[in-house]
Amino acid sequence: MEDLESILKQHPFLEDLQPEQVKLIVGCAKNLRFKPGEFLAREGQKEACLSLIRRGTVAIETHAPNGETMCIETLMPGDVLGLSWITPATAHFDCRARETVIAFSLDHGCLVGKMKEDPAFGYAITSRLLDNTYQRLSRLRLQKLDVYR
Amino acid sequence: MSTGEATRRAPNAYMPIPTRIGRMVGDIEDVFTWALEPSEPFEFAPGQFNMLYAHGVGEVPISISGDPTDPTVLHHTVRVVGKVTRALGALNVGDEIGVRGPFGSTWPLGQAIGQDVLFVAGGLGLAPLRPAILAVLARRGEFGQVSIIYGARSPEDILFRRELEAWRGRFDVDLEAIVDRSGTDWYGRVGVVTRLVAEADVDPETSVAMVCGPEIMMRFTARELEQRGFEQDQIWVSLERSMKCAVGLCGHCQLGGTFVCKDGPVYRYDEVAAKMLVRGL
Repeated sequence: MEDLESILKQHPFLEDLQPEQVKLIVGCAKNLRFKPGEFLAREGQKEACLSLIRRGTVAIETHAPNGETMCIETLMPGDVLGLSWITPATAHFDCRARETVIAFSLDHGCLVGKMKEDPAFGYAITSRLLDNTYQRLSRLRLQKLDVYR
Repeated sequence: MSTGEATRRAPNAYMPIPTRIGRMVGDIEDVFTWALEPSEPFEFAPGQFNMLYAHGVGEVPISISGDPTDPTVLHHTVRVVGKVTRALGALNVGDEIGVRGPFGSTWPLGQAIGQDVLFVAGGLGLAPLRPAILAVLARRGEFGQVSIIYGARSPEDILFRRELEAWRGRFDVDLEAIVDRSGTDWYGRVGVVTRLVAEADVDPETSVAMVCGPEIMMRFTARELEQRGFEQDQIWVSLERSMKCAVGLCGHCQLGGTFVCKDGPVYRYDEVAAKMLVRGL
């Protein structure tokens, strides 16, 4: 049976981390399961963890006053959820499990503490978060252009 | 001059041929597909277009969206966006239009033989790619892995939906679709088409990519393909410009030193990549 460390390092977000850096993350990680329809994050609430999706699809959604729910993007295994975690901001969207979702949940306080203690580890995590943020921003820019209209 | 394959030329490039509308399918809002019945077999190559003439109103260039192996039926998929397309959309089965063509360069199917083929279509860009997809599927054994990536604005805007579902059901085709936005009744992917390009299980060493959609989408897609390891000469795009004469005389569709109606619309990406980045061209 694989242990948490060996499963963690298979996630694309943690790819190429040094073994001792993966060990640092193990202490902050929990393996969570979400049922279909369950929310991983809610608009307006502080995101206390960074989720590394292992299995299932998560819909990033918002809703209009008439009750209509709009999906902005779907996140897949290998994706990271909770990027607002890097700022004091609260979540801007609801994140709902479309099917059973399995994810590593990295505790904010624990991870930030280790990032501060170990600048090389902090840099490794921050650069990955920035890369994810940039990729997400690029996709949203293209989406905003509404090119198919 | 495009390095595309030998094109088929219209028998008389200046003479619209009266052609009857045999069948009409309403695909999605403001978009319809005609099955025209040419009086003589109409041969074309995937990627080419015709000038469609609404009597007394005007002509528009429209890509051929049908099966190149069946010269008895000529398919065109039209979006109603202006005076001429509105006039065309008001016609009924049995009415006649004028057809001038076929014109333009073609998708590089000959060069793709023995290679993996990746089709990337966005929105109505699936229509000009459809003849190439049908041609590849008709000669499936001549090609390696066949992958189709399709992006649309919303689930309601998916073109040729039943056909996409049928292709997805084949064991010898990989098809992924994504929409820019959806409600909760769509269970497929939501996001932009480049996301699927980044994830596609393709080997750039052995692949040819054919891309068609809005030009911004094609630029973003080509950039993603290059990040995946594709060289620009492995990527083909179909450009859209204001084509009026279709024979390279009027200059409306000039793009730098090339005329899209005559040298395009299908170009190898390295021929046009720099031009596509020039504002105003």
